[in-house]
Amino acid sequence: MTLPPTSTEPEAPVLSIRGLHVRLSRDGDASTVLDGIDFDLARGEVVALVGESGSGKSTIGLTLQGLLPAEAQPEISGSVRLAGREIVGAKPHALREIRRSLVRAVPQDPMGALNPTMSIGAQLRESGLSADEVLDWLTRTGLPDPRRIASDLPHRLSGGQRQRVLIAMSMAARPRVLIADEPTTALDVTVQAQILTLLKDLAREHNTAILFITHDLAVAAELADRVMVLYGGRVAEVGDTRALITAPAHPYSAGLLSARFDLDSSRDRQLVTLSAEHLRDRPVGAHCNYVTRCPLAEADCSERRPDLVRVHHGRQVACFHADRVPGLLARVREAPGWPAPVSSDANALELYRITKSFGPGRTLLRPARQTQVLAGIDLRIRQGECVALVGESGSGKSTLLRIAAGLLDPDHGDVSWLGGVPPQVVFQDAVASLTPWLTVGEQIRDRLRPLGLSRREQDFRVAGALKLVGVDPALAGALPSELSGGQCQRVTVARAVVVPPKLLLCDEPISAMDVSLAAQTLNLLGGLRRSMGMAMLFVTHDLAAARLIADRIAVLEKGHLVEIGEPDQVISAPQAPYTKKLVGAVPRLAG
Amino acid sequence: MALASKPATLPRTSNFGWLRRVAWLERIGLLGVLLITLIAVFGPLALPFDPMLRVAEAYQPPGIAHWFGTDEIGRDLFSRVVLGVRYTWLPGLAIIAIALVIGTTVGVFAGMVGGWVDALLQRVVELFLVLPSTLIALAVVAALGPGLLNTMIAITIFWWPWYARMARDEVRRIRSRPHVEAARIAGVKGPRLMFRYLLPGAVPALLVAATLDVANIILTLSVISFLGLGLPAPAPELGAMTSRSVDSLTAYWWLPIIPALMIFAMSVLANLAGDGIRSALRGA
Repeated sequence: MTLPPTSTEPEAPVLSIRGLHVRLSRDGDASTVLDGIDFDLARGEVVALVGESGSGKSTIGLTLQGLLPAEAQPEISGSVRLAGREIVGAKPHALREIRRSLVRAVPQDPMGALNPTMSIGAQLRESGLSADEVLDWLTRTGLPDPRRIASDLPHRLSGGQRQRVLIAMSMAARPRVLIADEPTTALDVTVQAQILTLLKDLAREHNTAILFITHDLAVAAELADRVMVLYGGRVAEVGDTRALITAPAHPYSAGLLSARFDLDSSRDRQLVTLSAEHLRDRPVGAHCNYVTRCPLAEADCSERRPDLVRVHHGRQVACFHADRVPGLLARVREAPGWPAPVSSDANALELYRITKSFGPGRTLLRPARQTQVLAGIDLRIRQGECVALVGESGSGKSTLLRIAAGLLDPDHGDVSWLGGVPPQVVFQDAVASLTPWLTVGEQIRDRLRPLGLSRREQDFRVAGALKLVGVDPALAGALPSELSGGQCQRVTVARAVVVPPKLLLCDEPISAMDVSLAAQTLNLLGGLRRSMGMAMLFVTHDLAAARLIADRIAVLEKGHLVEIGEPDQVISAPQAPYTKKLVGAVPRLAG
Repeated sequence: MALASKPATLPRTSNFGWLRRVAWLERIGLLGVLLITLIAVFGPLALPFDPMLRVAEAYQPPGIAHWFGTDEIGRDLFSRVVLGVRYTWLPGLAIIAIALVIGTTVGVFAGMVGGWVDALLQRVVELFLVLPSTLIALAVVAALGPGLLNTMIAITIFWWPWYARMARDEVRRIRSRPHVEAARIAGVKGPRLMFRYLLPGAVPALLVAATLDVANIILTLSVISFLGLGLPAPAPELGAMTSRSVDSLTAYWWLPIIPALMIFAMSVLANLAGDGIRSALRGA
């Protein structure tokens, strides 16, 4: 199972990447995804690859496994040496051998990586383990009752348990390098921390190097020895985790850090966001690829490409003006405040003793097999107030939102809206909640139709709504597929507020977003609800976001409201044990 | 509030992205279907001989003067096949189009309204689907009397329920998707919901199914003509031409083989074109 040791000198890095370029094509248009990556990974070292979507961080992971999708016609150049073996240009059978014994991956979606028709034990035995070893590995990953788990099918396990099984499967092969591509984003906050600890312990125990791919610097900080920040397919900065987080040397790392929010961020002002793309053209020829967003950009940034240079011990930065980055950090602290809120004592939403159960009802032959999802929920939201509903998956928070929206009828209980007007909803997946074949302007306009306005008035209102959410009104004629994910989210907000609603319901609007995008969305929603006097129900699993956006936090556990109160009170002095667990699980930078 | 907007120019990559998704074999299918349609429409305007009249010796093999040879009474086979393409291809397209319009309307309506309307329409559709369609079509043609129009009516009656079922299922699927739910919350309802939000989502699947069905329709038309119930005798229809001359296969091979090959070619090309349309729509 293990290869003969090829390069076991203690100093030799287990992974060595030199001048890696990768081009991928989509519909025949090729683009550079990785643009000259140089990087070494030592034995047993944990390195986090951090960057926003499109930075190329996942492409690095796929390149290491030789798994770049063939339909993207990958063009790879440079060198990737894994335990002394070259991967670039290797034959398929050599890559298979490398994947079997040298590099393993823990995927983002654990269910998709397991065979749904095969027991966990059988799947582990397929990778060459004996029955005893299977139990041993399941025990090591901290799974309760490994014997039962081994005989279960994947769908009987929770998401966290499945991820543990996959970690067992990967680590049992004793790989030199483990690639973990956002392995915790699909999991609940309380489970995330456990999985991170497990990965760290196993890596230490077996001297396995981990390449941890994430967009969250705080998650990286909890786990990694070193951090590599990627931007647009190039390395922006590499350094020791603690040093990089306390003193970033690249303006992009500084931006990522200041855009991050956690339980200690100020609630009194808006969040700091990463400087947006300026409306200026990207220079032709060699240039720094961050130049279009960089607040420090000067003429030389558009004329030469900054090389990755060593600034001091263990730190490499690709920026001409790294010395001015500390000043940048001080400057961005002054974020604008919130607009003055409008509120009244009228209740915008009243939920009275809501109960809801799912499952097959009673038939002639057998009794009902129903699971209660909501057990008598009482909740009132005043006009102009924002309540955040926090809970894990399965707590019933999405069901409650659908009932409050009138999309679902409760079994018992009453829902009433101010003036009887149904609320507007912003969904989690903005792209999916826009109709792909209609222009965004037309979809926003559909809310104005019942008002009987003239065509010109409608156009004016649509443009106004787009401007309000920070989207160029000229994009009213664009299809959703022509916009970025963040713009789509803004368009759905524009549709909701083009006729100002009394009540806005938001279903996990930021959970699939990068840090900077999430901060921008929180600013947008927080500003709009104050200036328009909207009531808001903000469903989230992210306690830090809940604290920033809401006037009150309501904690939902298994269909019961276990705690409700002022955000800082709930977080600094949680009463319910469940709330304590949630608070403890939020990753923080200063840990 | 920081603005994260792209420049106002839309990032249109290329108008021919769809063509790259289509395999070369499927491109041949699309091109072939276009060619057949052109032949069906304009071919009969420029025939070398009158397809209904005796123009030469009977049973001449394919040659310079008569490219596909002549038949048992000395008519030019090439001219007859070109006209036969018109009599087979255009009715096939017409049947598809009419069945598609009826089926989609019924199906989208049933899928959107739901409840007992949906249940009733589903039972009617199932009634049509369980009957052996070709046999019943034959019975209908026999009852109405032979002829092209009656054949088309008979086949259409048994073809639209497939599209109705498909359109209904597609609409049910799209109805529960977040974007339709979001549109309902935004207050969209009635005809606007049906035609702007639901129907366009069902069109790609229906279009692909319809293209793949062209081959089936041609074969059904040919079967009915083969049995002598399609176009009346002197008119050239490819199925009928094959059937009438199949006895002389050993002596005069070109008489059944050439029309049969045309049917074969049209079916294959239509199938390939169907696959091509599916590939082209996949990314859209």
